Amino acid sequence: MTTIQTEKLTKIYGHGATAVTALDHVNVHIKGGEFVAIMGPSGCGKSTLLHLLGGLDKASEGHVLIGGHNLNDLGDDQLTELRRRKIGFVFQFFNLIPVLSAVENASLPVTLDGMKPAEARAKATGWLTRFGMGDRLGNRPDQLSGGQQQRVAVARALIADPELILADEPTGNLDTRSGDEIAGLLRDVSKEFGRTIVMVTHDPRIAAYADRIIFLKDGKVVDETQLERKNGNNAEMLADKIKEIGD
Amino acid sequence: MNLQLTLALRYLNGRRLRTFLTTLAIVFGVLLIFGMNTLMPAFLGSFTANAMAAAGQVDATITNKTGENFPESVAAKVADVDGVVAVSATLERPVNLPADYFDQDASTPDRVTAVTLVGANPDDFRSLTMVNVIEGRYLEAGDGAAVVVTQSLAEAAGLSLGDALTLPSPTGTVDFEIVGVTPQRLLPGNEEVLVSLPVAQKILDAPGMVNTIDANFDSVAETRRAEIEAAITRVLGDNFTIGVLQAGAEILQNIGVAQAILNLLGGMGLLMGGFIIFNTFRTIIAERRRDIGMLRAVGASRRTITRLILIEGMIQGVLGTAAGILFGYGFALITITGIAPIGQQFLNIQVGKPAVTPGLVIASILAGVGITVVAGILPARAASRVTPLEALRPSVGEVTLKRMAGFRFWGGMGMIVIAIAALVSGNAGFIALGAVLFTVGLIVVAPSLVNPIANIFGRFMALIFARQGTAQLAEGNLSRQPSRAAVTASTTMIAMAILVMVGSIISSIMITFTTMMEKSLGSDFLLVPPSVAIWGTNVGAAPALADELRAVDGMAVVSTTRFAGAQIGEVAVGVLGIEPRAYTEVSGLTFVEGDPQAAYQSLEDGRGMIVNGVLATAAGISLGDEVAVLTPSGEQTYTIVGIASDFLNAKTTTAYISQANIATDFGRTEDVFLQMNAKESADLDAVEAGISAAIRQYPQFKLVAGQEFLEQNIGLFDAAMAGFYAMMIFLSVPSLIAMVNTLAIGVIERTREIGMLRAVGATRKQVRTVILAEALILAAIGVAFGLLSGLYLGVMAVSGFSALGFPMEYIFPASSVIATIAVGLIFGALAAIVPARQAARMDVVTALRYE
Repeated sequence: MTTIQTEKLTKIYGHGATAVTALDHVNVHIKGGEFVAIMGPSGCGKSTLLHLLGGLDKASEGHVLIGGHNLNDLGDDQLTELRRRKIGFVFQFFNLIPVLSAVENASLPVTLDGMKPAEARAKATGWLTRFGMGDRLGNRPDQLSGGQQQRVAVARALIADPELILADEPTGNLDTRSGDEIAGLLRDVSKEFGRTIVMVTHDPRIAAYADRIIFLKDGKVVDETQLERKNGNNAEMLADKIKEIGD
Repeated sequence: MNLQLTLALRYLNGRRLRTFLTTLAIVFGVLLIFGMNTLMPAFLGSFTANAMAAAGQVDATITNKTGENFPESVAAKVADVDGVVAVSATLERPVNLPADYFDQDASTPDRVTAVTLVGANPDDFRSLTMVNVIEGRYLEAGDGAAVVVTQSLAEAAGLSLGDALTLPSPTGTVDFEIVGVTPQRLLPGNEEVLVSLPVAQKILDAPGMVNTIDANFDSVAETRRAEIEAAITRVLGDNFTIGVLQAGAEILQNIGVAQAILNLLGGMGLLMGGFIIFNTFRTIIAERRRDIGMLRAVGASRRTITRLILIEGMIQGVLGTAAGILFGYGFALITITGIAPIGQQFLNIQVGKPAVTPGLVIASILAGVGITVVAGILPARAASRVTPLEALRPSVGEVTLKRMAGFRFWGGMGMIVIAIAALVSGNAGFIALGAVLFTVGLIVVAPSLVNPIANIFGRFMALIFARQGTAQLAEGNLSRQPSRAAVTASTTMIAMAILVMVGSIISSIMITFTTMMEKSLGSDFLLVPPSVAIWGTNVGAAPALADELRAVDGMAVVSTTRFAGAQIGEVAVGVLGIEPRAYTEVSGLTFVEGDPQAAYQSLEDGRGMIVNGVLATAAGISLGDEVAVLTPSGEQTYTIVGIASDFLNAKTTTAYISQANIATDFGRTEDVFLQMNAKESADLDAVEAGISAAIRQYPQFKLVAGQEFLEQNIGLFDAAMAGFYAMMIFLSVPSLIAMVNTLAIGVIERTREIGMLRAVGATRKQVRTVILAEALILAAIGVAFGLLSGLYLGVMAVSGFSALGFPMEYIFPASSVIATIAVGLIFGALAAIVPARQAARMDVVTALRYE
């Protein structure tokens, strides 16, 4: 199982007087199979951290180690391969290709990796059916509801059997019920298949599905909380905490 | 199916109208190249087929290089060459027939427009060519006015064995008795009419002369045949050609030039197509930044993205090329059908089917698909540079307000300055290079000029759309992306430049040729043979006709033109014999160099020659040169006393000499074209009646009143030019597509801004106005640049024509300039329709949520 570690991870946008420090010497350690939520007020650097973990952006200083590999040492092709094989992404706006069907969208990463179409299709169908989308395989994104689109996106993130899944506000664009469904789906995946999941969210109810919460403010880690699964008031506790940090 | 292919097909299918319009640009280009190149060979093919049909299936056909007659005795020399087993000397002459010669019915198409009169020694002829008489008998030595004709000719003329066949001849019509009929010809071409040699010599006024020797050799081995041919050349000297027929060689040269010009047009069409594809792909990438970013995020490599875009381009290229080839063939077919009557009237040839060669198909495919792929490369690379982050955090619309007066600007200005210097130099090569530099310079400079120009036009627009701020918004939208605005404006510029250039050429050609026409065809009456382009295929009249015409009551002057073929260096030349004094009274040459008075005088003193511009350029002759002219009687030295042309012969390599010289050197006394003026006091109707009576025996001529002929020619000319115009408009249509694309990118990229505008209270109408104003400013920039570039290209083309031997006066194309401005602005407004509606209809909430 892959562990993720950052050391003095720093990201600065712009130069000179207009420079903005989005991340400021962040050190986090995420164990393999852990489900971590990152919370914090707007502009605290949540998304930037996620982008750096996924190799989508380059750090200004410090580094990210995924399973012992330093992302700074990888070229574009190697990063692309890493994303394709080891990381799955779930975005706030689903980001499905509008001209492809649900099953084609879900199978995209493995198709790109050269898997035989029939095999890729079977695999995608498996995940989609598991997520209750068995009767929607041939529909295009514009024929699906937001929750259904996000389920396709989760299936796409899982299809290549990645060890790490990065989710950026996966429920941000969904109603409460669909949001709960997706968060539950992610937790099940983490428990059942032992996948490492890092999820950015500002919603305490959604964050409550995670094992551990990392709080960020002004580009720095300000707090961490290990959640007890049995405790039913996790969401309220997190909401209070966020309010406290935000102020 | 391959993922990239699936994606490409789905995306193309999702935007059918745009795919269609983009592909259309490629279709245009390929259509032109393919169509033109199948058309021209068809033309050339039928032309040479006519010439070659006469050659039949023999080992060698020997003719004089000039195509003119030579003494019969040459045949004996050939027969004596070792290895030659059979020889037949013939006097062959295509006889162009006037319209409706046999059927006397203008409503039905003529099945026979020309025949080839073959005078031969019957036995010699049969020893080389198999003659299978199916009815009647073969010719016999000593036959008088007896002919053997083909079955198809007999049928077409409605004649049968024993009937009289009447043919025009220089000495009036001649009646022949049909004594034999041969099977119908397998190859289409001129029908052969076989007579005995002395008869042909008599009616063609060429005693003791022949013009073709057919020979068979004792071997079919290549080396042996080459030896025999070399031996024949040794015996006969350099003045003879083995194997190639020379008649009408001067017209072949011109068809080649026409083909090159049309290829250039096709090339321009394709280039435009490439530009459009380039533009469209940039739109596509702007639209799909998110999709592309997502693909990158889930693991698509840069190569995959590049390939995805290229495959889309390739599909359009392949479809466009296929359709272009198909339509091109159709276009050629239609043109041939349309052109056939003209071909018959002026060249007297039957044009066959469009000629499609594998080479042409391959070249068209390479051009069509190649250009698409090349045009797609830059956008595809740009697409591959879209970062995965775009999927998560799309960038805000870029704003490039920095000034662009850098290296590009000064480089472009440098090119423009050099181009203007080239124009002043007057050298054709420099001017052509200058045209390229000028256009490229404008394209390079364009981005730096977009801001100031947009500013000026923006102010102007602000006056029109006052007090709503829409013009300012539109101007700002253009100014913040000057390079993109420049690309669109450049596309428009090229289209508009083409319009203006053609306008310049047409107005200049019009003036020049109309003046020339009036001068050279200004006589009261003309006797016109069936072909006014290839004189050599006409049967003229002996001097007796001209004498008879001079005797017509009320006739003031009769000027005749005689024709012979010659060669100067490697250039085939049509030599016209004129009688200067009479000629200048009824007609006249338009001089480029040399003093007309002195030149006409020198034609008669010794061997003086006036050449036209085309010939001067082709053979590299200048005024005062002494040139060696190959004549049937050997080489003769002529002095060039002037460079000048008349209307009918301006396009072919032509030389003018005196009738005394054409008789001495070429043995020609036959008049092929006659121009007449009546006395001022004379009754024109009476003179016309007199001429009609005199030419009753010469059906090969058509009597035309000068004014009527002039109008006919101007009409034809106008039609040709209108076709040219239509083609140009055709070529400029794709720029419309480019403009639509750029405006569409702008709308897509600014979705949120538009939503915001609507949210704060802009009406749909105002949003539409912003887009329309943007389009109009873009169009105005394109038109402004297009005018500049087009005017330069026009001047260049006119100077280029002069350098090629068609001296023309440059006329400022005022009407074209106005038309171009109108067309450009209308295009701008049209291009705005779709994007403006798209922007206005946008749902405010969706637009605001769009990232």
